[in-house]
Amino acid sequence: MKAPPRQHRLFAVLAAVVLPAAAQEVDLGWTTRVIAEAHQRRSDSIFGAGLDLTSFGSERGRIEQELRGRVGPANVLLTATAAGQQGQKPEARVRVHEAFVDFTLGGERFTAGKKVLSGDVGYAFRPIDVLQREPRLQLQAPPMEGIPSMSWDNFTADSAWSVVLTNPGHGQRDAAKDDGSVALKLYRRAGTVDLHGIARHSARNGVEIGAAVAAVPDDALELHASLLHQQRGAQRVPLADGATLTQLLNNDQALESRRLGALQKALIGATWTSESGLSLMSELWWDGSANSAADWQRLARNAALRNPLLTVPGVPTLAVNGANAASTRLFAQANLVRRGALVRMAWSDAASGWSAAADLLASLEDGGRTLMLSVGHSADQLRIDGGLRIYGGKSDSAFGLLPERRAIFVALSLAY
Amino acid sequence: MFKTLFLVAMATLSLGAVAAEPNIKSLLKDADAFRLAMDSGRVETEVRTFKAGVQDKTRLYTVYLKPGHRSLVLFRSPAERGQKMLMLKDDYWLMMPSSQRPLRITPMQKLLGEASTGDIATMTWGDDYDGTLLGEENVDYLPCLKLELTATRKGVSYPRIVLFLAKKGRHPVQAELYVASDKLAKIARFTMGDVEGRRQVTSMTLIDHLQKERSTEVHYLSRTAKTVSDEYFNPAFLVRAEVPE
Repeated sequence: MKAPPRQHRLFAVLAAVVLPAAAQEVDLGWTTRVIAEAHQRRSDSIFGAGLDLTSFGSERGRIEQELRGRVGPANVLLTATAAGQQGQKPEARVRVHEAFVDFTLGGERFTAGKKVLSGDVGYAFRPIDVLQREPRLQLQAPPMEGIPSMSWDNFTADSAWSVVLTNPGHGQRDAAKDDGSVALKLYRRAGTVDLHGIARHSARNGVEIGAAVAAVPDDALELHASLLHQQRGAQRVPLADGATLTQLLNNDQALESRRLGALQKALIGATWTSESGLSLMSELWWDGSANSAADWQRLARNAALRNPLLTVPGVPTLAVNGANAASTRLFAQANLVRRGALVRMAWSDAASGWSAAADLLASLEDGGRTLMLSVGHSADQLRIDGGLRIYGGKSDSAFGLLPERRAIFVALSLAY
Repeated sequence: MFKTLFLVAMATLSLGAVAAEPNIKSLLKDADAFRLAMDSGRVETEVRTFKAGVQDKTRLYTVYLKPGHRSLVLFRSPAERGQKMLMLKDDYWLMMPSSQRPLRITPMQKLLGEASTGDIATMTWGDDYDGTLLGEENVDYLPCLKLELTATRKGVSYPRIVLFLAKKGRHPVQAELYVASDKLAKIARFTMGDVEGRRQVTSMTLIDHLQKERSTEVHYLSRTAKTVSDEYFNPAFLVRAEVPE
C-alpha cells in the first residue's frame, strides 16, 4: 500500500487529535465493496488503434474497504482499495477521503480538516457545486474525496451562512478542485421553498456567483433550479483546424487550453413521485464551460486527418496512435454535455428491497445520448447493484464519438 | 312555567349526554402519554422487519423530537449509517452520507423509505388529528373505544386513522392506518409494558395490509427528555457531523 506524503501528515494530525479522545467515543462503520465493470470498445471508432494506448474498453474491478464514522471529536472516512484493470498491473492504495473536526468556539461554529463540500439541488448537473465539483453520472463512483478547508458557520432556526476557505495557501493548481478559494454560502428556508446562494473567488475562475432554489408545491412534486455566473473560465479543446503535420502528431498538442470569458451554467428540474414507489425526474441544463458540438466535430476531423498518415512511409505508427490516444483525453471531463436533458424513471419498493431505474440522457447540442438501466436489491447488510449503459446518438457527437459502445457493472456492498 | 321546567330538564339532559361522551382531544392526549410523555426528547428505536414471519432486516434510529412538529432522525444501523432525515411540519429533507448535501424531498418520497420514517418519528396523535368516537368494540377480547381520526394538517403519513383505545386506562391497542388514497396500508398493534415504573408502549407491530406477508416491529429502546437547540433542526446543519449530546 502506498500513501502520498500529504496523507501521511493528515494521518499524523488525525492521530494526534483523535487518539486522546478515542477513549471517549468511537462510532465506526465498516463497508466492503466489490465492483466489476466490463466495457465494450467501439470497433469502428475513429481513434482506431490509438485506443490500445488508453483504458477505453478495458475490463476493470476493485475491492474497496471503507471505514466511516467518529473517533472522539473527529470524523473520518478512509478507504483501502485494491484495483485491477485489463492490461495493467493491479494497484493498491489507502486514501483519506475525510478527516475533519466540527467544533464550537465562543458560541460560533467552525469546521477544520478535509471534508466533502457538496452543494446544489440538481441531480445530473450541479451549477453551484463550485467547491466540491462532484463528478456526476459515473458508473459506481468511489466515495468522494473531501477538500482541505476551514469554515465558520452560523445557523438560526431557518437560515445559515458559512465562510469557507478551501485549500488554504494554494493558488491555482492543475485541478480546479485543488485551487485555493474563499467562499460565502447562504441558506434560507422560506415556507416550502429552500433558497441557496454562493459567492466564491479563485484565481482560476475569478468571481463565481450562484443561486439555487428547491420547492415542494404538493405531496408528490418537487421543483428545483440552479444558476451560476462565472467571471472567467477555461476549457480543453481539440487542436485547431489547419494544423501542421508536426502539430497533428504531437501528443502534447492534441488538445489545447482555451481561455473563456464570462460564462453561465443553469439547470431546471422536477421530480414527481407516486404512492406506488414510481418516480419520474426530468432536468434540462446549460453548461457554458462544456465543449460545443463544433469542438467534438473537430476532434473527429483531427483523427480523420491522422489516420491516413499510418500508410505514409516515414511516419511512425506510434506517433499517429499516440496523438489519437492523447486526443481522447477530451472525454475525461466532468460534463460532456453543453445543452442537456435527462429523464429518469425509477421505482423502489422498500418492503422487498428492490429498486430499478432507467435514465435517458440527451445532448441537445450535438445529438448524442446515453441510456442507463440499473437494478438493485438491498437486504439487511448486503446490497447488490447491476446495470448497463449504452452510448449512442449522432456519430460526431460526444457520446457518438466516445470510444466505448456500452458498459455493464455489478457491485456488491456489505456493511458491518 | 311548565315550558320553562321542560327546557331546563332538556338542557340538563343534554349537558349530561355531552359530559358522558369523552372529549376526543383529551382521549388522544391520554393515549399520547403512553407513547411519548414529554414535549422534547430523544427516542432510541429498533425496527425489525419480517417477511412471512422470518426477520429479514434490523434498523436502528435515534429520533430527536421538538414541539412544533420538528423531528430529526439519525440512521444508526450499518447499512444506513450517516443518513439523516429532518422533518419540519410538512417539509422534509434527507441527507445521504455519500452526497453530504441536504436533499429536499416530497411527503411521498418520505413514505417510500425503509420502515417509513413517519412511523418512527411521529409519536403523538393529539396535535395532528381530530375525530369522532364511533363507539365501542372489543379488540382481542379487550373492550375498546373506537375513534375515527382525520388529519388536521397535510404532512402526516396517514390522513385517516381508526384508533382503538382501551376503555380502561385509555392506552392505545390498535390503529388502522390509511394512506392518502384512503387505502388501508397498515394495522398497528401496541404492546404495553412497565418502563422505569411507568406504564408505556414498549413496541408497535405494523402489519402491512397491502403485502400481507410483511410486518414490522418498532421497539422503543429508550426515551429521554431533552431540549435540543433549534440549530439542529435547520436543514443546512445536517452537513455538520455534530449530534446533540
